[in-house]
Amino acid sequence: MIEGEEQGFERRLDRQSLLKLAAVAGSAGVVGGRTGIANAMRAISSAETGRLQVLDWAGYGNDGGQAMFAQYVKQHAANKPQFTYMTNESDALAKIHAGLKPDLFRPYVGWVKYFATSGLVQPWDTSLIANFTHLNPFMVKAGQYDGQQYGIPDDWGFDAILYRTDKVTPKAKSWDLLFDDRYKGKIAWFDDLNMLTVAGLYLGFKDPWNQSDAELQKSQQLLMAKKKNVRLIWSSETNLWEAFGSGDVWIAYAWPNDWVQMKKKGLKVVYMRPKEKPVAWVGMFMLLRGTPRPHLAHNYVNAWSSTKSAKWLEDNYGYGHANTVARPASSDLLHALQLTNPKAVTEPSAHLDRDIPRRALYARYWEKVKAS
Amino acid sequence: MPLAWLAVFFVLPIAIVAGYSFDVYSLFPGPHGFTLSAWRAVAGDHVYLRLFWKSVKMSVIVSAVIVVLAYPLAYYLALSGTKRKYILLLLLIAPFLTSYLLRVLAWKVILGDQGVVNTFLFWTGLRSPDHPLSQLLYSKFAVMLVLGYIWLPFVALPIFVSLESLDRRLLEAASDLGASRLRSFWSITLPLSLPGVLAAFFFVFVPTLGEFVTPSLVGGATGYMYGNQIVDLFGTGFPDWETGSVLALFLIAVVAVLTVVFSRFLQPQQIAAD
Repeated sequence: MIEGEEQGFERRLDRQSLLKLAAVAGSAGVVGGRTGIANAMRAISSAETGRLQVLDWAGYGNDGGQAMFAQYVKQHAANKPQFTYMTNESDALAKIHAGLKPDLFRPYVGWVKYFATSGLVQPWDTSLIANFTHLNPFMVKAGQYDGQQYGIPDDWGFDAILYRTDKVTPKAKSWDLLFDDRYKGKIAWFDDLNMLTVAGLYLGFKDPWNQSDAELQKSQQLLMAKKKNVRLIWSSETNLWEAFGSGDVWIAYAWPNDWVQMKKKGLKVVYMRPKEKPVAWVGMFMLLRGTPRPHLAHNYVNAWSSTKSAKWLEDNYGYGHANTVARPASSDLLHALQLTNPKAVTEPSAHLDRDIPRRALYARYWEKVKAS
Repeated sequence: MPLAWLAVFFVLPIAIVAGYSFDVYSLFPGPHGFTLSAWRAVAGDHVYLRLFWKSVKMSVIVSAVIVVLAYPLAYYLALSGTKRKYILLLLLIAPFLTSYLLRVLAWKVILGDQGVVNTFLFWTGLRSPDHPLSQLLYSKFAVMLVLGYIWLPFVALPIFVSLESLDRRLLEAASDLGASRLRSFWSITLPLSLPGVLAAFFFVFVPTLGEFVTPSLVGGATGYMYGNQIVDLFGTGFPDWETGSVLALFLIAVVAVLTVVFSRFLQPQQIAAD
């Protein structure tokens, strides 16, 4: 089914591209190498009509993220991206099933297998993404399923712990700080079933992403028991920034950008790497099956993958970028994200987030923690 | 015509939600058919019922407290004979001209650990800066306070209307017959305005019971309400529209039953008033 779809995509490429290629070659004379292909690509994608439909997270569209796809907008002024926002993968999944037709969207690495096997997406043709060669090979591999490139890695970061050094003295560098009774009412958790994974990591389970029923119950019990210490379960970063910035919470399950933002506010904060290791996540652009704008989508992802966009993301959002050539201006960030270490997101320095085979069950357990 | 409207915009959507709850409709393609499993799972789980009960208690407290607070306000506006009553009424409603979100967020500035209230307490020395009153924000209290603030005008209006339409001659007759002002309030004003009071209570109770925006903004981990669970089941973690639909239908059913009971209760009062 998926193979057939890919063939369909390639057929479309063939039918349209041959004529276009001929036209480009004719008008530009003999063009060779990369520029020739790029020009031909541009010509092909100009045959695709309408605005590129992008389903992405807040901050990554026309609400502040423009610099990261500026190159695309310049090349395809007639097909500017039109954004719909997703609050999480589950929201995206519901939107797509309910009839939204984006050309591409961005789930995170733990969902690659789910979407690749769902029949909703098709693999990318990486030869159409010039910047693909700059992307971190470990992350590229994480975007593959069954030998095909379903996800193009872009932004990445960690789930770890942010805390105020002037208020908090951790007993150990551990996820334990999120459950610490000494800081009752000063702790923020993240509203996601990943909390069960983290609980599993903390409890030392063999595979926190695939816990047995008994393990899952233990993780849930831990969270239910420690929820009394929690002031806020944040679902958007602005939520967290308000509470952390105003001193309402001192300890939070957080992303690198949150650390950057709180430092900007002048707070004394540390982004702790727990001994059980942080969980790393990588944003994966995915191409919807049957999209009428596959080439525009490839060009869009290419713009996002450029060194310039990558540096911008690192400098402004404090996340890492899969583009290994890019370097942020801040050496703190370089150090915190271990940007020079290509294996920063994977063993032995972190656990790369992965497929949760029983995700629906995890979700039910997590919802009950909140309801309890 | 009104029936058609009701059918299309009320009955049909509920029927669709019911379809999801029985898995007749499903978000995911693939085999599915009529099943009661989502209903059974909810009925067999105390977590949901406890959460519902918590939300009921919060809504009852909010509604009762603001009815008590709004009554004197409405009484003053309706019966004090002030010429400026419509201007005052307008002032009461004026906050509605600002965005709902903005008003809720403004409370964060007031209630936070470094907020207006706590800063005042530090200044007076009633609390040390190391121990702010942290129950003020991200708590059940915060949710109830903000809900009360938001809904106060909605409560004041029906009470105002019922007091305004009060037959003043009854009060004159009472005073002619030598009743004290307190006596005429207990025997005439209060019973006759009771339908307005009950309507007001109901006006607040129903929407706050299913509330999810306010608790998600100021409720934190403890102020989480039943409405939040419904929203989350539809779109966080992993979509569970079956369970979400069951919870939504249960809420609608409870509200429907309460509406019937309340309207029965209101009618004899109105007849007596006539």
